[in-house]
Amino acid sequence: MGDIISFAYQYADSFALLALSSIGLVIIFGMMGVINMAHGEFMMIGAFGASFGFQWGLPLSLAIVTGVFAATAIGLLLERLVIRKLYGRLLYSLVATWGISLVLSQGALVLIGPSVPSLPNPFGTVSVGGMNFSVYRLFLVALAIALIVTLWALMRFTNFGLHARATMTEPDMAEALGVRTTRIYMVTFGLGAALAGFAGAIFGLSAQIQPTFGAAYTPIAFIVVVVAGSRNIIAGLLASALVLALVKTSFTVGFNILTGYVAMLVTALIIIRLSPTGILDLIGKLKALASRHRSSTKGTSAEETKNA
Amino acid sequence: MRELLNGRIEPGKGPVFWIVGALLVIGMLFLPGLVGRYTLLNFNSFLLMVFLATGLALLWGFCGVLSLGQSAFFGIGGYAYGIVAINLADSPWASLAGVAGGIVAAVVFAALLGWLTFYGHLRGVYVSIVTLVVTLVIESFLNQTAGPQWKIGTAHLGGNNGLGRFSGAAENIPSLTIPTGGGNSLVISGSSPTFYYVLIGLIVFTYLLLRALVNSRFGVALAAVREDPDRAETLGYDIRLLQSMTFCIGAALAAMSGLLYVAWGNFITPSVFGVTANVLPVIWVAVAGRKSLAAAILGAVVLQWGAQQLAISGGEWALIVQGALLVLVVLLLPEGLLSLRQQFSRMRDVRSNSLKSQSRQG
Repeated sequence: MGDIISFAYQYADSFALLALSSIGLVIIFGMMGVINMAHGEFMMIGAFGASFGFQWGLPLSLAIVTGVFAATAIGLLLERLVIRKLYGRLLYSLVATWGISLVLSQGALVLIGPSVPSLPNPFGTVSVGGMNFSVYRLFLVALAIALIVTLWALMRFTNFGLHARATMTEPDMAEALGVRTTRIYMVTFGLGAALAGFAGAIFGLSAQIQPTFGAAYTPIAFIVVVVAGSRNIIAGLLASALVLALVKTSFTVGFNILTGYVAMLVTALIIIRLSPTGILDLIGKLKALASRHRSSTKGTSAEETKNA
Repeated sequence: MRELLNGRIEPGKGPVFWIVGALLVIGMLFLPGLVGRYTLLNFNSFLLMVFLATGLALLWGFCGVLSLGQSAFFGIGGYAYGIVAINLADSPWASLAGVAGGIVAAVVFAALLGWLTFYGHLRGVYVSIVTLVVTLVIESFLNQTAGPQWKIGTAHLGGNNGLGRFSGAAENIPSLTIPTGGGNSLVISGSSPTFYYVLIGLIVFTYLLLRALVNSRFGVALAAVREDPDRAETLGYDIRLLQSMTFCIGAALAAMSGLLYVAWGNFITPSVFGVTANVLPVIWVAVAGRKSLAAAILGAVVLQWGAQQLAISGGEWALIVQGALLVLVVLLLPEGLLSLRQQFSRMRDVRSNSLKSQSRQG
């Protein structure tokens, strides 16, 4: 029984880590088709901003808001100066944002220094049935779920969500119908940067904040995003994080952390090997396969190859 | 043969190009007489990266596959050289066996990874991301190999201290050694003029060979895959085979750089798999012009030299400048500095009313 609870706790923790570190990237890639290699650096800026805010005497919650603002501001600035000129040119956007990531992380090192004071972690531990759980970890899980639900509601029920979904599926038609697609792209990029900054500030509560802070999260976030695909970004993110976290936790518990990491990568490779457009199409294919001998016609077209 | 060397794909032809190129190479031969041993040591380290850069240019500029993980093959080539050479330390053939081992290991790994990605119908950014993540995984794997149980034969992997004398292990990685018969052998240390001449020779040879390759029918097929993979496939090209083969050639070139790097410095650490190590070749090739092997060679040498000058005077600003340079080039000159020349010659051609200029683009 204890083992099951412990596994569930670790599973939820991995899920929260994957979902939070990739949510900003998923939005930018899924909605704009832009690969943002500076994602980890936006997280770093969020953590730096929060640390500065806290040093200025702001309460912790407002310090985190400061970090989110810093990441959003830099995200919007970069969108106007660089990203805007690279829409629809996937490889160029990837290379340019890689350059930006180098400038941001190295710039932080030169201008601010190798580290900034850490943030205090206000959460303690809670003891249930003789087992200790970190409240912070449980908070991350709740936060990840809350963010996914909020994002879903934003896309589903608001005007912005409608316009954003229209821009994502048929940019030209949306534009012709009066949607200001450039503004949608700008807001989307800002939202992605804000979410990255938020995740960075929250992770900063338990980690040393340094210029290379974000670099560790970027590859993990990319794995989640590639598996999530861009058909339905929120369901994709959820499915991707749930499956990858399961693999990561199982192998971490069974072997060690590195094996968990490698197993997660191999799983991601297998999933995109079977279905290059992401895990949702894989699930769709499996469903279609299962229902074939029930003579159902519920198949999904898994065509739409993502091209560079 | 003349056609292959003066073909249509790789830019630069005509007597002026070849004379300038030959003069440049001949001029380079005088360098060891003009500079000190320390400068030569540095210069050797720039020159040995040329293979990595040309491999990336071949993949990205000629075949349209942007691999962000060329360092994986660089590192595998380097590590394999070290491991093989340490294990055969008593033999005069240790170093040459290391060279063979390094290239074979990298090509085998590339074939496997190419099968996973290209035959998995992955394209574009997906290939880029998979290659990058794979090298970062190798880095984290090697970083935790510090314990004594992590050894291959007599070579300790050494965790983040790496392989060779700096890891604190007893084994030293031998320099490039060529048996000359009768029990004698020529040891070529990383700071020696001989190492420099070997590099110049290898670079000229590799350049001419790759030039012939990209100007051959193979190169034309690669250009078709780059421009429109679906159309190329419809026309009967096996695009996955072409991409995988190019990937393997690129890996062999990266491994060449990696094993020369180890032979040059007699050590290697997992940081050669890191993000910075991966982004630098992309900067050289993107800035100079990815659609030319000659530009990639010049870009690699000039930018490394420039970065070192910056690092001497401006400390940590060197990486910022290089990152900013990459962003600027992508925004202003997406085809790299080389396109300046093409734009200039197009203007000249338009002025002389030549229609030929149109067909050269692409």
